[in-house]
Amino acid sequence: MSDSPQVVLRRTASDAEKNPGATARRRRMIEVGLAILGPLVFLGLWEVCVRNDWWLDGRLISSPWEIITSERLREAEVWEAVWVTTVRMLKGFVIGTVLGLILGVAMGINRYARAALNSTLTALYTVPKIALLPVYLLLFGFDEAPRVYMIATVVFFFVWIYTMAPIMAVPMGYREAAASFNATGWQMFRHVLWPAALPQIFVGLRVSAGVAVLMVIAVELILPRDGIGYFVNRGRELGLPDNTFLGVLLAALLGIVFVGVVRQIGRWMTPWAPEDNSPGQI
Amino acid sequence: MVEGTSAPIKIAARGVERHFGADPGTAVHALGPFDLDVAEGEFVCVVGPSGCGKSTFLRIVAGLLRPSKGDIELYAEASSETPVAMVFQDYSIYPWKTVERNVSFGLELRGVSKKEAVERGRHWLERLGLADFAKAYPDTLSGGMRQRVSIARALTVEPEILLMDEPFAALDAQLRQVLQDELLDIWQSEARRTVVFITHSLEEAIVLGDRVVVMSARPGTLVQSVDVPFARPRTPELRARAEFNDFKNELWQLLKGEVEHYMEAVRATGATDGGAR
Repeated sequence: MSDSPQVVLRRTASDAEKNPGATARRRRMIEVGLAILGPLVFLGLWEVCVRNDWWLDGRLISSPWEIITSERLREAEVWEAVWVTTVRMLKGFVIGTVLGLILGVAMGINRYARAALNSTLTALYTVPKIALLPVYLLLFGFDEAPRVYMIATVVFFFVWIYTMAPIMAVPMGYREAAASFNATGWQMFRHVLWPAALPQIFVGLRVSAGVAVLMVIAVELILPRDGIGYFVNRGRELGLPDNTFLGVLLAALLGIVFVGVVRQIGRWMTPWAPEDNSPGQI
Repeated sequence: MVEGTSAPIKIAARGVERHFGADPGTAVHALGPFDLDVAEGEFVCVVGPSGCGKSTFLRIVAGLLRPSKGDIELYAEASSETPVAMVFQDYSIYPWKTVERNVSFGLELRGVSKKEAVERGRHWLERLGLADFAKAYPDTLSGGMRQRVSIARALTVEPEILLMDEPFAALDAQLRQVLQDELLDIWQSEARRTVVFITHSLEEAIVLGDRVVVMSARPGTLVQSVDVPFARPRTPELRARAEFNDFKNELWQLLKGEVEHYMEAVRATGATDGGAR
């Protein structure tokens, strides 16, 4: 027994443990509140700056309020542009995803496929995709195809990497358990490799979803014919800032909705995978 | 050991309860009310059926989790840098750090320079037979070696209280016995500090502990606290003695009913352990 000074460490319930229900509700409310408040603060600052001519020039730049009260929102042209862009983006996303999954799986499973294709794909991956546009125009004509394929190309690379890597990383123990039951190659894939990799694959799909929105707008700005990107561009050319900013806002909304949808599909398809292991703070 | 000795109390748990989940329909009453006193320098082993909340209790002692009710007081020297250290069952040493950096991790978090921390960890590396693997990465080691790293990491911070959560559960039987013997020797010869040791193995509890605390099926409460009647220093040969087996059977009689309760609960609800991991 020592006579040196002592401290007492107490382990005791905090409010969170005493009222778990109320705490969970409060936490949820704070989260929802912050999710709404964040964008509102951003839009609010934008509004205030434009109105007072702080930093942003009100003659050139529309405020959020001007955008959402704009007559243009009621015009069919706007919604047609949204529709064209959405369809174009989805086509590119689906094509890129399917190809990315096929090559990602093949190269994740088969070392020879990996050896044959890895350096080629890595080389192509590093090429700035926008630089491919002239090539695509030559290859696929000037209509819808090169536009869709541009999006598909970008999506493809993300899905490919995010599929191949987790399949290669599936732990030996999972593989051996199935192998011990004499699983066929297809069974190994269907019951072990695919589900083990799926949560990571969905991380890739979420990244790709964002990039698909980015790419569809970029392509529409470079090849102006229709869609949200064209809408943005024409606003600039005709000196209609409403048009430009409405377009930017619509693109952002498209991004939020699309990434959210992909994420929700991921939750449904991987109910076993915890999305969040963190206690909320470091 | 608490009665009849003059050692001061080191850990005092009073009415500790823990519930998991906010929704009354699915909330689980995992632990308690549970009371326990642990004296300074005492080695207490806690046994109980799966899901009885023994790991939950240990995590509350460690401060990783708060109780829903009741409290635990730990009495530590004011000068102590890291009064409490914990050894986990698995997944707790870092694959991206070498063995010696894993061992010095606790000291580095205290702001000790890397060089000094590694130096201070060396003693425990050697004591646990890890000196030759100091620069190796954990993934190149066997499971037994990895758990030695985990123990060395905890001892390197010189904690007053050592918490061990089924540290040998993932090891094979022989290795398990080897590590039990090593821990017994280390504790008896130079690391005689307060220990709370969670285990499923009665044999392990008897070989190592001054006292065995038997917990009930979920929600875990104290069934009985039994002093281990074998004098120290003990040697591994203790296991071969007839009294050892008699005592083990005695404890099993206490525990058996609780394990049956647990099995009934599993059959009735399909639920397994509390998922504290």
